[in-house]
Amino acid sequence: MDHFFRTEYGKAVSHLTSKFGASNLELAEDSVQEALIKAMQTWPYAQIPDNPTGWILRVARNKMIDQLRRDQKTTQQEVPETTEEMNEDLSLESINDDMVRMMFACCHPSLSQEYQIILTLKILGGLSVREISSSLLKKEETVAKAYTRAKKKFKQEEIKLLLPPANEIEKRLEMVLKIIYLLFNEGYKSAEGEMLIRKELCEDAIRLNRVLLESEICNTPTANSLMALMHFHAARFSARTDENGDIITLENQDRSKWDQNLINQGLFYLEQASDDGGINEYIIQAAISAVHCQAPSFEETNWMEILRLYDLQLQITPSPIVRLNRIVPLEKVHGPHVAYTEIEELEETSFFDEYYLFYAIKSDLLNTLGESSEARVSLKRAIDLTKNEREKAYLKDKLKSI
Amino acid sequence: MKKYLYVFRGGDEGYADQSPEQMQAHMQRWGEWMAKVKAEGYPLQQEGKVVGKAGDVITDGPFTEGKEVVGGYVVLDANDMDHAVELSKDCPIFEFGGTTEVREVITEMGM
Repeated sequence: MDHFFRTEYGKAVSHLTSKFGASNLELAEDSVQEALIKAMQTWPYAQIPDNPTGWILRVARNKMIDQLRRDQKTTQQEVPETTEEMNEDLSLESINDDMVRMMFACCHPSLSQEYQIILTLKILGGLSVREISSSLLKKEETVAKAYTRAKKKFKQEEIKLLLPPANEIEKRLEMVLKIIYLLFNEGYKSAEGEMLIRKELCEDAIRLNRVLLESEICNTPTANSLMALMHFHAARFSARTDENGDIITLENQDRSKWDQNLINQGLFYLEQASDDGGINEYIIQAAISAVHCQAPSFEETNWMEILRLYDLQLQITPSPIVRLNRIVPLEKVHGPHVAYTEIEELEETSFFDEYYLFYAIKSDLLNTLGESSEARVSLKRAIDLTKNEREKAYLKDKLKSI
Repeated sequence: MKKYLYVFRGGDEGYADQSPEQMQAHMQRWGEWMAKVKAEGYPLQQEGKVVGKAGDVITDGPFTEGKEVVGGYVVLDANDMDHAVELSKDCPIFEFGGTTEVREVITEMGM
């Protein structure tokens, strides 16, 4: 029953909005909310219905139709009768398609990224405004306002709950995947805020990606790559922090805590993604994570392979960030001198002037090269630059050991 | 052991702003409580009618303010009234300001 109501909320609102149009989004939300209240009030007295999903969908749909009938008297709008066909629409496949359509609608190009995220979390994630604000570390009021504006825009643009035409699918799917990955990262990055709810954000991202994969047109190598990447990250979730919530780096993680089941699933998706031999935004990152996940220890990691993958990534996206991330495998394969030369070149670009991680990595290298006083200067700069208290604590701890 | 009737009233206003996750948690606590005290009963629809003599409908429900509306009832076994009140202690009805009325069921006549 984990998060059952939340999952059902997304299904039912997507279904009703697909049926009755985006202009009825709010009514769909209210109807589903009422159906869940009814479930909450009645299910404990007896057994949970055999098909709880169908129960909620039917109750919500009936409430919605009742309300539309009441409104009909003033608006003259036609309200459809409940038909056999409507009941057939409640099949799992059909509901999944409704959710896919809703995902494309929430991530519509006419909406800002902020709106896309909030709509996705509220409608498909079934989170309340308060829960969204605590998972995104934003003020409740800010999120509430943004959601109202987002819904208004949603209606103004008359966003239809349709699948994009075939020639646009790839581009539109890219936007949906981007939002999913942003959600995942919101949950994954640093241990700020309520740990539990942030972990749930990661689970939601994976759940939404799964909805896409179950739809034939969205089961693409890119969607599989992202799914693989998120599985590899999620596998390491509980090994990433100690009992105080402090960060443990990859090097020092207890690998027996990695979730082997998630790793295996990740490998499955990576295989699916590699079928056509193509390259996409997520596949190299996923492949790098796969190498880490399969290494028995940090030392025994296949650094050659990781360096090769970073080189490949650099060819596609020659960004300073990729170059920075490439430093560690570069050092492992070619030694600290080569890696330090690269760091110096990167420093000249001034791209990293305000980026704490750059100085942390630089400090590590200097320390390895025996330049401990310079290492200390660099680490202090990293400490000044990071705003995250846990990162700060971790780096300060490191400073003591130099 | 004697039988006791619990009549649950109110609490509904608080439900509207609950998130799906919170509602599910609330429902699960109800289920746990009912299993713990071995309660059996039924929820009630909000709508109803009050009927007077000879089937004349006096009024359509709801009869009173929201907090007075009976949402459901259960019957369970307890040693005495104190025990019955004690058993209601963890009942989730109180989470949103609802109340329960506890009444002993008369099962033996002429006492």
